[in-house]
Amino acid sequence: MSTLVYMKILELSPASYDRWMRFLTLGRVNHIKKEIAANWINPGDNVLEIGCGTGSLAALMTKRGARVTAVDISAKMLAEAQKKVPAADFHHLTALEIDQFPQDKFSRIVATLSFSELTIAELDMVLSLSANLLKPGGLLIVADEVRATKLWQRFLAVLMRWPLAIITFLITQQTTHVIKNFEARLTAAEKFELIQRHEYLLGTMALFIGRRSDKVSSGAAAKTGGGVPC
Amino acid sequence: MLNIIKDFWFLFGRLFPFPTKPGLRQVGSPDKNSPVLITANFELTVRQVINTLNKDGINAWLLVANTRGINVWCAAGGDNFSTDTVISALKSSKIEEMVDHKRLILPQLCASGVNIHSLKKRSGWQGRFGPVDIKHLAAWLQSGRPNPPAEHRRVLFPFKNRLVMGTNLGVNTLLFAILPLLLASYWLPGFWWKSLLLIFAAAILNCLLVFKLPGKPGLQKGLALGGIAAAIFTVIAVSALHLPFINLSGWLIWIIVIGAYLGYDTPSWSPLWRTDMKELLLGERNTEVSVSPEKCIGCGLCQNVCPAGVFGRDLLSGKSTALHLERCQACGACVENCPAAAIETNFEGGICSCPTCQILNKLK
Repeated sequence: MSTLVYMKILELSPASYDRWMRFLTLGRVNHIKKEIAANWINPGDNVLEIGCGTGSLAALMTKRGARVTAVDISAKMLAEAQKKVPAADFHHLTALEIDQFPQDKFSRIVATLSFSELTIAELDMVLSLSANLLKPGGLLIVADEVRATKLWQRFLAVLMRWPLAIITFLITQQTTHVIKNFEARLTAAEKFELIQRHEYLLGTMALFIGRRSDKVSSGAAAKTGGGVPC
Repeated sequence: MLNIIKDFWFLFGRLFPFPTKPGLRQVGSPDKNSPVLITANFELTVRQVINTLNKDGINAWLLVANTRGINVWCAAGGDNFSTDTVISALKSSKIEEMVDHKRLILPQLCASGVNIHSLKKRSGWQGRFGPVDIKHLAAWLQSGRPNPPAEHRRVLFPFKNRLVMGTNLGVNTLLFAILPLLLASYWLPGFWWKSLLLIFAAAILNCLLVFKLPGKPGLQKGLALGGIAAAIFTVIAVSALHLPFINLSGWLIWIIVIGAYLGYDTPSWSPLWRTDMKELLLGERNTEVSVSPEKCIGCGLCQNVCPAGVFGRDLLSGKSTALHLERCQACGACVENCPAAAIETNFEGGICSCPTCQILNKLK
């Protein structure tokens, strides 16, 4: 019976997922998604979204006139997303399998609240795969939870995080993580240059815009497999 | 010292995730031909796996997958140890640069989440399911056989595990009962700690005895155990402590209630029995599994992945049949891994194999 109560609390359906995420980020996540679609996506862009969830950002980007390809590991979420955005192209893949797509295909790669789910080794790998997929001058747009830079912000963040972390755990059965030193990881190996960084929620969330550095020789490390027709 | 503290925690908090760092570990001194193993990043699991492999003198590459600190079986049932998880672990560890082969040994209990055909297609790695318990791995590797022997592919519930589940059942019952108990202690002084001891004793006794005593574990047996405990309590209290019987009646009822409740809950803490809850809530008695003889190709994988020994092999046709339906835990490992989609069930696989999760899935 006790196990029943736990599982009941931890139930999560894709339909309620968006609502909970809005709540857990105090409404910020939607704001950031709108900002990404409005400021950083141009009509005609070829966009890859890593970890699309229920497709709320994919919907915004499609409306803006972009061609969206999206990957996620949750079949349930993907089904929901497919319903929401029939025009986009969804694939059930992990972030590490994006090397199936042809090199230099995308002008934008977007990831919101998904890179923090990766381990550090996975993140480094995804960043270098992303550099290969982007066209020269293409942008990597990442919004995620980060550790605040100022001490007082960090203190406030801890106070704020605690209750939210407990609620998050109860609802999604997952602990949220922050990406530490994302700028350093992004610019390591000179694959990207950071062109903008915005902070939200007292510096606990950030939007990073990285441009593919010219030093990545276009299509040099051609080691892709079949390539998915899109 | 730190390990002793951790072990103490696991005695009570085994239900809660306990993550350790994911990534590639070297066990012994592995080379280009050493076996590659994968496991969950539950702290206790990783520690036991490494200790056992070291003790058995095995050199291997151990991939610790990011299952969010959940053990293998629960993670596989709850979508945290899936084909995706394995692929992420393989790719991010760069294990391909370390070895000259693409053979991966998976723990058998992850079969309800990991599909080895899809793994092969997506990553090129050939997965094989090892034994349920890591202590049988060395013998299997040395035997050179394709699969571990049948007795090492079954989940058992030995004394030590029952004891640990008993303490965990106690703690989890207390988590829900402690507030009402403390409230009640306002009117009944001392009620809370006496009940606390009672719940713990009953939980441990239940888990230890309930599978040994004759009959099916569940409400009736819990009720009977409660009755017996109440009777013993009465005899001791009246004859040895000379307490008046009339003062005891409340406690007698309380003992029977606790015994019955825990008896009811115990099966859901075991890997062998299903709780009565399913019958009670859904009016559904059994899980059903059937193998379609037309579709079955006789590969025998369902017999290898089933942790309950449900499947057998038809000697004439060489195809699989579901022989022991009463043992089925509804984990869905067979459905997940059948290459011919020949297995039909009346439950949805790929969800936590514990009965509770199965019911919840139905109710949703």
